[in-house]
Amino acid sequence: MDLLFGLENEYGVLIDGCSLIDLPCAVKELIESYPHKACSNWDYSHESPRLDMRGFVAKRLEVNPKEEKLDRETLSRSPDAFEPCDRVLQNGARLYHDHAHPEYSTPECRRLKDLVAHDKAGERIILMCAHNLSKRLGTTVKVFKNNTDFHGSSYGTHENYLMLRLVPFDAVVDAFIPFLCTRIIYTGAGKVGSEADAGKGVRYQLSQRAEHFSSLIGTDTQSRRPIFNTRDEPHADRSKYRRLHIITGDANMSEYATALKVGTTAIIVKLLERGWRAPDWLRIAHPIKTLHELSMDESMRWLVELADGRKISAVELHRLYLSAAQTLLHDEDEDVQWVLREWCEVLDWLEREPMALSDRLDWVAKRRLMEMFIEAEGTDWSDERLRAIDLAYHNVDLNDGLYYALEANGSMRRLVTDEDIEKAIYNPPNNTRALIRGWLIERFCSSVMKVSWGMAKVCVNGVERTIDLRNMVGEDAQDVLSKLVDEDIPIDELIELCNSANANSSENS
Amino acid sequence: MPEQVRRQMPNELMPKHHDNEDAPRTPDVQPPDTKELLERMRRIDPREARRYRQRSGE
Repeated sequence: MDLLFGLENEYGVLIDGCSLIDLPCAVKELIESYPHKACSNWDYSHESPRLDMRGFVAKRLEVNPKEEKLDRETLSRSPDAFEPCDRVLQNGARLYHDHAHPEYSTPECRRLKDLVAHDKAGERIILMCAHNLSKRLGTTVKVFKNNTDFHGSSYGTHENYLMLRLVPFDAVVDAFIPFLCTRIIYTGAGKVGSEADAGKGVRYQLSQRAEHFSSLIGTDTQSRRPIFNTRDEPHADRSKYRRLHIITGDANMSEYATALKVGTTAIIVKLLERGWRAPDWLRIAHPIKTLHELSMDESMRWLVELADGRKISAVELHRLYLSAAQTLLHDEDEDVQWVLREWCEVLDWLEREPMALSDRLDWVAKRRLMEMFIEAEGTDWSDERLRAIDLAYHNVDLNDGLYYALEANGSMRRLVTDEDIEKAIYNPPNNTRALIRGWLIERFCSSVMKVSWGMAKVCVNGVERTIDLRNMVGEDAQDVLSKLVDEDIPIDELIELCNSANANSSENS
Repeated sequence: MPEQVRRQMPNELMPKHHDNEDAPRTPDVQPPDTKELLERMRRIDPREARRYRQRSGE
């Protein structure tokens, strides 16, 4: 798509007999159960989560008081429970312990199919670790790719898009707030009931995550979560790029929904880079309330109140973005063409007959399962078994997960094959800088001292060498990447190639 | 930026979808094997969601 993107998923873990206080240590053990070659030193010196796109450093990130108390109890039992625990994998991904969740960050991708394959590879990798931990502990370890424990705790599925910094910050916010508040009509993973007071009586929601957002703009991710996250860590040349860090998304099991979510969002980035700006009237009157209400709107009319008092349906609002994309991006690559076509069709079905999308969208597929169960059992939406079914939909075990039961009987559209996923477990995409990271791990694992998204430090003949990957994100990097794919080059040559490509890129900027 | 993409607010906020030849037809979705799915759902431990407690993510 001529754009770098990636996904981060925090997984939920259920271990028989393990309390919330002991969960962080168990998750650490789960990460340590990764059985293949990996670098365990992530370079945290390049991270600055309090840096805000608005040009300041936040004093602190908001912490949930309940979590603070649990953290203290965990640390009193296990002082090293929150010590870093990372694995940088030979597919270029990062697997690590993030506040009692195993988190898998895909390698940087440029094609939607690669992203879907690597997102699914993450499920398989974490499942592999869970099986190993289960054997070691002699108990059942289950892993869920979802965003809620149904008791008020939420954990994230974050998306990352590298975009040009020359697009003004206000233009990015103006375009994304209406988009992010409403895209849940096709990106939502579906949830039984509500965890918020305002959701009392709600039977089923579009989104797992929507009701956990309570502010509009900010750097926080655990408490007072904002619709537009302003964390400013580009992991690339700061003068040229910003990384859009989207935290409102749900964990999609459906390959199609993952591709549509990332594809449509990437298209908004591309539109902004082409000079498109959201029209002045496209302002939502109450964005946070709208996000909550749309998620809970069982009428499926999904009406949005604009700042000028008029109302528009979320479907129609997305047609405005789609229309701009059809005008400006009609000659783009096949990924863009796929998104434009499918986005159009999905919006049509959402308007006419949303349940017809049960082969593509998670919230529809899950709702269809629930309705089938309710009818067969002669029960209703208050049945507590429905929440267990909701959870089981997200179980990543191919034999136990309900999503995978649907997939196995051909009820879900697929975009990649099992072979693609297997390949992605061990191989990075061949057209992004993740190829260099993966190549280093695969060939020179013992020489790799530290890794981050934009840097690698290796020891060659007793000398520490730095490979700067921050400029290896655009066309300039393709020569080096092609060489890696085609030739068996020595590490010295790779370092020279990378540093020279970096120097060229810096000179051209 | 091209002026033509700076869309005006449509007069009719919610235009009706008109059926025509270009409109998508009902997707050819295979009906799921209901019996097997129901069996799978019945086997799920109803207490699992109650036991499932997680920490808030970051």
